[in-house]
Amino acid sequence: MILLEPHNVIIQTTILEKLQKPGSLDVVFVDYDNVRFHLSTPERKTQLLLSMNIRCWDELVQYGALDVLRREYGSLLASKVEPEYNVSLEIDLEQAPSDPEAREAFVESLALLKRNALSAPFERGFETQKQLESSGGQGELMQVHYRDEEAMYIQAAPDRVTVIFSTVFREETDRIFGKVFLQEFVDARRQPSIQNAPQVLYSSRDPPLEIRHVPGLRNSEEIGYVTFVLFPRHFTKSVAPATISHIQLFRDYLHYHIKCSKAYMHSRMRYRVTEFQKVLNRAKTEVATTERKTASGRTMVSR
Amino acid sequence: MSVLAPIICDNGTGFSKVGFAGNSDPSFVFPTAIATRGSASQSARAPAVPSKPGHLASKRGVEDLDFFIGDEALANAKTPGYGVHYPIRHGMIDNWDHMERYWEQTIFKYLRAEPEDHYFLLTEPPLNPPENREQTAEIFFESFNIKGLYIAVQAVLALAASWSSNRVTDRTLTGTVIDSGDGVTHVIPCAEGYVIGSAIKHIPIAGRDISQFVLNLMRERGEMATVPPEDQLKVASKVKENYSYVCQDVVREFRKYDEEPYKYFERYDGEHSVTGRKYSVDVGYERFLAPEIFFNPEIFSSDFLTPLPEIVDDVIQSSPIDVRRGLYKNIVLSGGSTMFQHFGNRLKRDLKQLVDRRLDASVAASGSTQRSSGVEVDVISHKRQRYAVWFGGSLLASLPDFYTSCHTKAQYDEIGPSICRRYQIFGSST
Repeated sequence: MILLEPHNVIIQTTILEKLQKPGSLDVVFVDYDNVRFHLSTPERKTQLLLSMNIRCWDELVQYGALDVLRREYGSLLASKVEPEYNVSLEIDLEQAPSDPEAREAFVESLALLKRNALSAPFERGFETQKQLESSGGQGELMQVHYRDEEAMYIQAAPDRVTVIFSTVFREETDRIFGKVFLQEFVDARRQPSIQNAPQVLYSSRDPPLEIRHVPGLRNSEEIGYVTFVLFPRHFTKSVAPATISHIQLFRDYLHYHIKCSKAYMHSRMRYRVTEFQKVLNRAKTEVATTERKTASGRTMVSR
Repeated sequence: MSVLAPIICDNGTGFSKVGFAGNSDPSFVFPTAIATRGSASQSARAPAVPSKPGHLASKRGVEDLDFFIGDEALANAKTPGYGVHYPIRHGMIDNWDHMERYWEQTIFKYLRAEPEDHYFLLTEPPLNPPENREQTAEIFFESFNIKGLYIAVQAVLALAASWSSNRVTDRTLTGTVIDSGDGVTHVIPCAEGYVIGSAIKHIPIAGRDISQFVLNLMRERGEMATVPPEDQLKVASKVKENYSYVCQDVVREFRKYDEEPYKYFERYDGEHSVTGRKYSVDVGYERFLAPEIFFNPEIFSSDFLTPLPEIVDDVIQSSPIDVRRGLYKNIVLSGGSTMFQHFGNRLKRDLKQLVDRRLDASVAASGSTQRSSGVEVDVISHKRQRYAVWFGGSLLASLPDFYTSCHTKAQYDEIGPSICRRYQIFGSST
């Protein structure tokens, strides 16, 4: 698995299972970036309530998340939100499409709840870029504080949309891995096959110029900034959804791969250790195991 | 900041149960299997080494990311180039390379959790060497940078799961756990949260053997003639799961079936998985004979002949004398093969007879001057038996105590993996 999937597997499997066989349900689970879900059947077995709590909800609403969700889910969006959560969907299993393919698409769209909510600032950024093409100037700098110490900044310009991530590495090892990994990202773009990929810039410690004026930025060794420059060809109508899915999971993707690299290193290390042990075992002196016999020819058995 | 629910990960030999604390069922139950590139026989081979020149991204392929776990692993078993491995053998982790990647995908693909934000509760079999615990801690703290870790013994979690039964009044961690899964059955005595290692006994009869026994019975009666050979074992295990129960008296049960076969015989309908041809079989005596192999093993095998109640009695008798009463009073069932109806009642009755007989003998031996007050025997069955270990973990991890009993990342960094050799027992009210 190289890329992380945008949809939530628990939502998908649970709802598919409940469509087959309705039953009462009350589960809590999470998704990346401190997102909490609660899936329950408060009234009757065929009426599911899916609630989501997301840290940066207020910011997302400001950038039009409600409109995006209304467009995606329409009447499913519950008018009364469950306490402690930010958004709720009411799913009536009896109303779900019966055609297997349509049903699968329906469940898939439910599993993308978090992705859709987080896509609002990106969509707005892409729209602003279109408007700026004729008028010029700079778009608003949209900030999404999706984790406690990390944030995402999106700004539209007449010819591009810039997306900046800040990410914190708590461990020194992670920081080195992250640096190497991101450097590879920058280098890999030189290959002819992926010339059209968005430009990636990486800076540790110093924030990029675009966001230097933002108050409250930490300036420490632990922090790093990744900048993506998206040109209009990256968000044409057909590719925009994929771009959004990939870019909003970028931080988790990075951390996932740091962990994979560590696992790979560990397997190499274990291999090395067993090889060294083989060498050490070869150096052991052999114990002479000649059979000892008495004068009369009887063997001595050691007890 | 709101603390996210701890993750409970119960990796068994056959199946892994994973999910979040506070739920009553695991979010995922899938086989502990991993399908990797390269055939199964090449497991000792070294991981791929970079060979080509150029920058790093082109030097090394992504072979180490090319693998599947769980159901997907089994689905890909026949794909050319993949080999399926089972990283856990007899409850203990056998291949750490595979296990590390297995956990990696469990967390990132299925649970979709950032491990740096979560506490973890893992389980281990009784008598797991502390070195294994250190290795596990190393992987979780150093690869995944988790917040905190608790490693619990499966039997203790099964005891905690029994608190959900309404017959349990005091939350004690003293009791005997009968854990019967697919491969082997363990009888494990626990005293105040600690396993009495010297008294543990294993029984080589478990789910797999019961299915085989049902299959044999049905073949002998000629029922399996209509069933395609590749489906026979599956049908047998379905019959075992859906129709079997424990009876009080085998002879009387046989007579009942013979008098009114239409009342007691059931019909199982199946469909051939490839051709879609329908078939149906009669389900008869195997309904009560299947679980009977726990109580009369001689009907199934000739090398293991001790009935389960006798083993349980042996285990308790070889435990320290001051905990024996507690062990008799709280016998807890866990695992799928203890799910038979009336299993607990039968075990209780047989065990009670054994104990009473011994008490009577000792009364007689003392010349009827010393009278015992009797020993209370109780077997607890509850609704969560199938995933008892996972459920116990979920229960304990939702207590506020959990966070103080965990070893945190900071403590690990300070002391090292040896910190995970010992864990504080918590959650019991005694």
